[in-house]
Amino acid sequence: MIVLGSNSDVSRAFVELILQKEQLENLYLFSSNTEQTEVFKKHLLVKYNTNIEVIDLDLMNFSSFDFSSLNFDTVFCASGYLGKEGEDILERQDDNDRILKINYSSLVLVLNAISKSLIEKGKGTLIVLSSVAGERGRKSNFMYGSAKAGLTAYLSGLRNFLFSHKIHVLTVKPGFMKTKMTENLDLPKPLTISPEKAASLIYKGYKKKKNTIYIGPIWRLIMFIIRNIPEFIFKKMSL
Amino acid sequence: MKRTRTMANWGNFPKMDAQEVDTKLFVKLLKERTATDTFIARGNGRCYGDASLNETIVSTLDLNHFIDFDAEKGEMECQSGVLFSELLEFLVPRGFFLPVTPGTQFITLGGAIAADVHGKNHHMEGCFSEFVLDFQLLTADGTIIRCSKEENADVFWQTIGAMGLTGIILSARFRLKKIENSYIYQESIKAKNLDEIFALFEDSKDWTYTVAWIDCLQKGKNIGRSILMRGEHATNDQLSKKQGEQKYLIPKKGKLNIPINFPGFVLNSLSVKAFNLLFYYKQWSRKKKFISHYTTFFYPLDAILNWNKIYGKKGFIQYQFVTPKETSKEAMREVLSEIAKSGQGSFLAVLKLFGEKNEKAYNSFPIEGYTLALDFKVNKELFLLVPKLDEVVLKYGGRIYRAKDSLSRPELTNYLTIDEGSFDSIQNKRIKNNL
Repeated sequence: MIVLGSNSDVSRAFVELILQKEQLENLYLFSSNTEQTEVFKKHLLVKYNTNIEVIDLDLMNFSSFDFSSLNFDTVFCASGYLGKEGEDILERQDDNDRILKINYSSLVLVLNAISKSLIEKGKGTLIVLSSVAGERGRKSNFMYGSAKAGLTAYLSGLRNFLFSHKIHVLTVKPGFMKTKMTENLDLPKPLTISPEKAASLIYKGYKKKKNTIYIGPIWRLIMFIIRNIPEFIFKKMSL
Repeated sequence: MKRTRTMANWGNFPKMDAQEVDTKLFVKLLKERTATDTFIARGNGRCYGDASLNETIVSTLDLNHFIDFDAEKGEMECQSGVLFSELLEFLVPRGFFLPVTPGTQFITLGGAIAADVHGKNHHMEGCFSEFVLDFQLLTADGTIIRCSKEENADVFWQTIGAMGLTGIILSARFRLKKIENSYIYQESIKAKNLDEIFALFEDSKDWTYTVAWIDCLQKGKNIGRSILMRGEHATNDQLSKKQGEQKYLIPKKGKLNIPINFPGFVLNSLSVKAFNLLFYYKQWSRKKKFISHYTTFFYPLDAILNWNKIYGKKGFIQYQFVTPKETSKEAMREVLSEIAKSGQGSFLAVLKLFGEKNEKAYNSFPIEGYTLALDFKVNKELFLLVPKLDEVVLKYGGRIYRAKDSLSRPELTNYLTIDEGSFDSIQNKRIKNNL
C-alpha cells in the first residue's frame, strides 16, 4: 500500500486499522517530513509484520516520481493543507500557493503518476481524502475549498477514466475531524469525529467499493442543505 | 498548535483557562521563554485536582509511538504519551502485562512515571518506578538527557513522582510482567468492620493483588464494613474451557457512556447508601472465588466511559491519603466517622495496604501503611469536610497523594524535593505559597 501524507492522524489510524485486518507485504510511507515518518515506521514495525519504506515527497517541489517499481495495489491519500484563516486571504501569496499545490495542483500530478502504474498492474484502489469544504466556497476558507472542489472533480473524472481498467476510486469527504490539522479550530463536538472512527468508516467504504463517502454520514445531509441555500442568501451569510 | 481553553482534570474541578501546546511548539517556546514563564506536561488528564494544570500546558499526547519491544528480555520502550490501554492491547496477546497499574488504563506512560503510580500489588512489588529502566527527559535548557538508575541517577530519582516539575518525559523503557492469559484468579471476602478488614489485609500479604472496597457511610460498630478483593494472574489450568479457547482475550472497548453531566441532585447520601448496600449484599456468602477478566479486576470503571459526569457540572474531588501503619487503624476510624457524620458519601472508597517505601524514590507518595481513596462531589459542605480530614491525617503523620490533591493543606503534600525551575503547576504554586 502507498500512503501519501503519512504523518496525518487519519493516515496513521487507517494504516493501523488495515494492518490489523489484512496482511500487507509492502507499505510505502510518503511524506515531506521523513524524520517524523521514521518514528511512525518504528512504531509500526514493533506492532506489525510488514516491510516498510519511508519516501520523501514534497508536493511543494514535485517534478516526477516513478511508482512502477513499487509493490502495491492500494493507495491511501491524506495529503492536505488547510492554510491560515483571516481577512488578509487575498494577500497571502505563499500560503495560498501552498494550499493550491498540496490540495490540488501538485497532488493530481502525483495521482496521475500513480494511476499510470496501477493501469499497468491492471487492478487497484485509490482512496483519496477530499473535503466537504469543496462543495461550496465560503468566505472563511475558499482557497482551501476551491482546491478541494477541484480535487473532488478530478477524482470523479479519474474514477470514470479508470473504470475500464478495473481500478476503483473512493472519494472521501470528511466534515470535522479532530486532528492536528484542525486542532486550532473550535469545532462543534457532536459533528466532530476522531481519526480512528474516520478510519473505520473509510475502511468500510473501501471494502464496499463505495464511490463517495461522507465522514460521518450526517454530512451528506448537512451539505445537501448548504448546497441548496439560494446564492442571494448564502452570499450574505457568515460561514 | 496553540490554543486557549478551559481545562480541568478528570474530576472537573478546579477549572482554569490555559494555553495548550504540543511538544513541537513547546521546543520553540522554550527557546523564547522569559524567566517567569513556566510549563507543565500533561498526558491524558486522568489525574484529579490541580495537578498538571498551569497557564501553559504541554500536551504529550502527540508522543504516541512505540519504539521497541523485546519479548526475550520482557522490555518495552515507547514515547511518553502512549496510553496504558494501548500498551495492554499490544502486550496481553503477546503474553505480557503492565508491571504496575492504577485503577484506570487511560493514563499515559509519562503520567505513570510523573506520579509514580501504585496499584493493587504495591505491598509486593512497589510503585511503577521499580520497573522503569530509563527515560529521556527534556529539561528547561532544551537538552534531552537519558536518565536511569545508573546514568544521571540523581535526575532519575528526582523526576520519579515529581509530578512533572523537573521537565518533560519524552519516552521511557520499562520491564514487563509475563502472564499466561488475560485472567485473574480472584477471591472476594466480606469484612464486617475495620478490625476484620485490617486482619484480612494481614492474612493476604502473600497475594500479589489486594484491595478493598469500603462503605464509608457506616457508623459505630459497622465502621469499616468492606469487601476485600485479592487476586493472582490465573494459570491456564484454572481457566474454563471457554476461557481457555481465548486465553488472551481483549474485550471490545467500553460501550457504556455517560453522555451528559448528571444534575447535581442525582448523587446524594441516599443514592450512595443504596448503592453501597446493594454492593455489599450482592455477595451473599462471606467468601467467593472466581476467575475474572483483567479489565473487570483492574479497571471496573473504565467500562463506563465518562463516568466522571455522574458527579455533575461542578465536578468532584478525590481524597487519597496514607498514614503510617502503626497509626493507620485509629486514623482510618477517625476519618470514616468524620465522613459518616458529614453525610458526604463517597461512591468509591478504596482501601489498600501499602508495602515498604522505596527510600530512593523520595518524591513518591506511598509510605508503608493503609491508604484510603475517596470520591466527593464538590459542594459547600465539602470545603468544611476536607480541613477536618486533613487535621486527622496530619495528626497521625500521614500525607496526601499529589495526583489527586486540590484542597488539602500544604503540610500534607510538601514531601517533594525538587530544584525550582521552569516547570511548575498551579498545584505546586498553591503548595509552595501555602494558599
